[in-house]
Amino acid sequence: MSALPPVEYTLEYPYTRTTGPIVGAFLTALRDGKLLGIRCGGRVLCPPLEYDPETGDTLAPDFVEVGPAGTILSWTWIAEPTRKHPFATPFAFALVRPDGADSAICHAVKASGPEALRTGGRVRAQYREERKGAITDLYFAPEAEAENRYVPPGKGAVEMTEHLISLSFSEPLAPHRERYARGLLDGRFIGQRSPASGKVYLPSKGYDPIERVRMTERDDVAVADTGTVVAYTVITPVQYYGQKETEPYIRASILLDGADQPLGQQDIRTLPIAEFRSGMRLRAVWKPRAERSVLDVDNRWGGTGSVIERWEPTGEPDVPFEKIMEHNW
Amino acid sequence: MSAEDIAIVAVAQTPARRQYADSEPSMLMDLTNQLLAETGLERSAVDFTIAGSCDYLSGLPFAFVSNVDGFGAWPPVYESHVEMDGAWALFEAWVRLQVGDIDIALVAGSGKSSPGSPREIFPLQTDPYTAAPLGLDPVSVAALQARALLDAGLATERDFAEVVSRSRRDGLANPNAQVKKDVAVDALLKEPYFASPLRKHDLPPVSDGAAAVLIARGERARKLTKRPVWIRGIDHRIDSHHLGMRDLTDSPSARLAAAGVNLHAGPLDVAELCVRFSPEELVLRRALDLAPGTRVNPSGGPLCGHPVMATGLVRVIEVAQRIRDGSARRGVAHAASGPALQQNLLCVLEGGA
Amino acid sequence: MAERCAVVGIGQSKYARRRADVSIDGLVREAALRALEDAQLGWKDLDAIVIGKAPDALEGVMMPELSLCDALGAVGKPIHRVHTAGSVGASTAISACTLVESGRYRTVLTLGYEKQSDGNATWALGGGRSGSQGAGGSFAPWIRNYIQRSGAPEHIGWKVAVKDRLNACKNPYAHLQMPDITIEKVKESPLLWDPLHFLESCPSSDGAAAMVLTNAAGAKRAPKPPAWVIAHAKRTEFSQFPGRDTVKPAAGVDCAKALYKKAGISDPRRQIDVAELYVPFSWYEPMWLEGHLICDEGQGWKMTDAGETELDGDFPVNPSGGVLSSNAIGASGMIRCLEAASQVRGTAGGYQVDGAKVALGHAYGGAAQYFAMWIVASESNPTYR
Repeated sequence: MSALPPVEYTLEYPYTRTTGPIVGAFLTALRDGKLLGIRCGGRVLCPPLEYDPETGDTLAPDFVEVGPAGTILSWTWIAEPTRKHPFATPFAFALVRPDGADSAICHAVKASGPEALRTGGRVRAQYREERKGAITDLYFAPEAEAENRYVPPGKGAVEMTEHLISLSFSEPLAPHRERYARGLLDGRFIGQRSPASGKVYLPSKGYDPIERVRMTERDDVAVADTGTVVAYTVITPVQYYGQKETEPYIRASILLDGADQPLGQQDIRTLPIAEFRSGMRLRAVWKPRAERSVLDVDNRWGGTGSVIERWEPTGEPDVPFEKIMEHNW
Repeated sequence: MSAEDIAIVAVAQTPARRQYADSEPSMLMDLTNQLLAETGLERSAVDFTIAGSCDYLSGLPFAFVSNVDGFGAWPPVYESHVEMDGAWALFEAWVRLQVGDIDIALVAGSGKSSPGSPREIFPLQTDPYTAAPLGLDPVSVAALQARALLDAGLATERDFAEVVSRSRRDGLANPNAQVKKDVAVDALLKEPYFASPLRKHDLPPVSDGAAAVLIARGERARKLTKRPVWIRGIDHRIDSHHLGMRDLTDSPSARLAAAGVNLHAGPLDVAELCVRFSPEELVLRRALDLAPGTRVNPSGGPLCGHPVMATGLVRVIEVAQRIRDGSARRGVAHAASGPALQQNLLCVLEGGA
Repeated sequence: MAERCAVVGIGQSKYARRRADVSIDGLVREAALRALEDAQLGWKDLDAIVIGKAPDALEGVMMPELSLCDALGAVGKPIHRVHTAGSVGASTAISACTLVESGRYRTVLTLGYEKQSDGNATWALGGGRSGSQGAGGSFAPWIRNYIQRSGAPEHIGWKVAVKDRLNACKNPYAHLQMPDITIEKVKESPLLWDPLHFLESCPSSDGAAAMVLTNAAGAKRAPKPPAWVIAHAKRTEFSQFPGRDTVKPAAGVDCAKALYKKAGISDPRRQIDVAELYVPFSWYEPMWLEGHLICDEGQGWKMTDAGETELDGDFPVNPSGGVLSSNAIGASGMIRCLEAASQVRGTAGGYQVDGAKVALGHAYGGAAQYFAMWIVASESNPTYR
């Protein structure tokens, strides 16, 4: 039996960073096709800092234009750029000391090849066609290959810069989670009973943390698909990047009969919010087999992927508060 | 409270592997159980627990919280966490024990680099306004450092290859090493550049792994093990973050840390250094003023296995093991963080009663 | 103990939903420079720096000690970063304190911050996934459980919200200042997670908070009265396990017991003059009064109801306005510790509790599983009532 596909997830957010006046001035200048340094004692620092690196004193915004040409202090030819690099085809990173500055800026150099680069070589600042007041507006090129394009200045001061950070992750389901996921596809809840304490964990993390004991397939145990609501929250969705929810819904934890720990992350949209309560007895209504998916089951969170159509009341009397007080998770 | 009094009494590490099916908490649970079994201690006898890990490696804010499962936290425990290599957790534990009111600490470091793409994640360590959006990654920065060494006449590409050849060959004797092989320097030099002047073999592998140690004060230490490894000093310092203001051929923070631990108060039989990129060994040998014959990375070092967030603590363990088995009397373990050896930690260990 | 530790400098940034006027460097320097100024010290006087903040994904900056070390005068020095979720500000203060108590470091700068407007806190708290329930969504079922167990009337939470926001009007650094807030306004505000209304919930703030800690010799030289650290404690339990009491977590009880024992406090209700408790959602005031043994179980809401936790009450809680008024997550725990210190130094200005000599600073985090607390006093060896 081949393994279930790995868990894939993306952590992505479009950060919007307020720059403050020093970084803001620097990025404004980039947008306008200029490189700025800041005076610090007898030196000029580029990129500009907000403070004197020797004394820690706050620096006055005493800017001076530097470059556009500069000298390479060190460089490396990147044969296989990552997806996050400024260029998709091979390029160089270099420490470039702009003319008039006493420090170097680390940035990308677009060149015909590594032969065009050497320590001590000369490069010139270049600016992207579309600039947004970010460090990526800039790059360098060897003097012999540089272009001298006019960069129309923009309007206003840059006070914020954007950075979309998107990271992708992929990891196989741990063996016990794989068995849990397969159980879900089969319409069954598979937990694990601790050989040390007898407590049943669902979904299991593969160990009993109280006794510090690992569990194996031997410890797998079937758990009923009926249970009691032990905790719930009515979520009124707040909008944020990546949010898919718009309407209020219930997120509930259900203590399945036979388990000692509640099954969390059960999103309930088919039962009236006003009637929902802790102590309710519910039964899982499974999706037709062909429609079940465990793509959202991972190694850390609770949840049941997309295998349960809905939870419906069993009609049994509610379980009293005292009996479920200790499962308030 | 004199610094002489604190010793490592037990060590445990997982082998470094390309990918573990086990979760990080599971790995930590195994190590914790191992340490307790070796010393005969109950969990409740550990006064302070502290771990190092990094949420971003797994792409999950608060990932570190699950790791508590590994150490055990019921009944409730006194514990803390640093978002750094376990070597810095060791630093905090060592300092904590010197307050004098508690005796035993459990220290761990762990990380799974396998789920994500480290070269895409680590640029987030750099200046958010001027560097991170360029995807400026540790390989590229290490390459800039390598070239600076070549330009200054302080190293040759052959020197880099010799570090790799020796390290990976030494890894053959290390059951915990992930990448180990016998490759000649000339063969290595024939490989193409990856981030010039670095070749792929100059880079560390991507690894999952975990490590943990138990430390104890004075008489407690002597009661828990016949072979305590005394921590003679831990010091860590940091250089400027601004690459364009640093001399990449040198490591002033490593040098300051060396002075802080009195590195050369005695002979160094072994030095386990966080050499992730081969040129780093040359920078560190000079900055730490190591005698030419000093045995560096007999374990093979991070070039053979790099479980990020545990790598530094593994160096401590490798030195400790050599002191325990009698092949060394005094040694130094080094941990590093940040681009081009920006931050450096040294831990001097010594055997004896 | 090898050395005593005292707070000799305190500095905070102005807290706001978005500090559009500063970069992260600028934000942390604002607090650090004020702390140094308060202590009449310079960057060169620092022997070590300890910073703390909540998950890096809040700003998208990984291991920020690396990119902030220059801004904080840390080049050439030891700097490390603590991360214990919401309790981190207090954990960080404690970590810095142990550096001094060990005798190895004389003067330590400790700082907690968050520039969370650069990202989105709800997104980060939900692990970057859709459908985040936020912190309030996690605590709501436990709060309902507390209400049911204690029989507390529904207005208690609203009372806390009004008290803390009015207190904040006296705190020039506070993010939320609502001089016109009333019980009715809180009750009418949108329900976020039953029973928590919008006005009972903490804001999302940018901000930084810093302290300069030093040993006894340093405290003697300090220009202003020091706040002596009398005791500190941390406890952690699992987020979830069969039988866990989420309303009165054992780790919170254990932490308080350890803290009071260390401090020589036998009757916290009488012997502590003022408490800065981490109350991000109103009901946590009565819950922590009980959860940290300041009063008996079921009595916390009565303390609130009777006005005992007001600024001029018998046991003032959060005279600064608390987390309900400013919540830069990485700073919030440090602010509690710092405000406790401010009280016993007599520097709390408009929200000074008269005659405060012994103060409690507290933070919690995660699934109410991490606890970090300290006691500070105006004298190095206080005598209690």
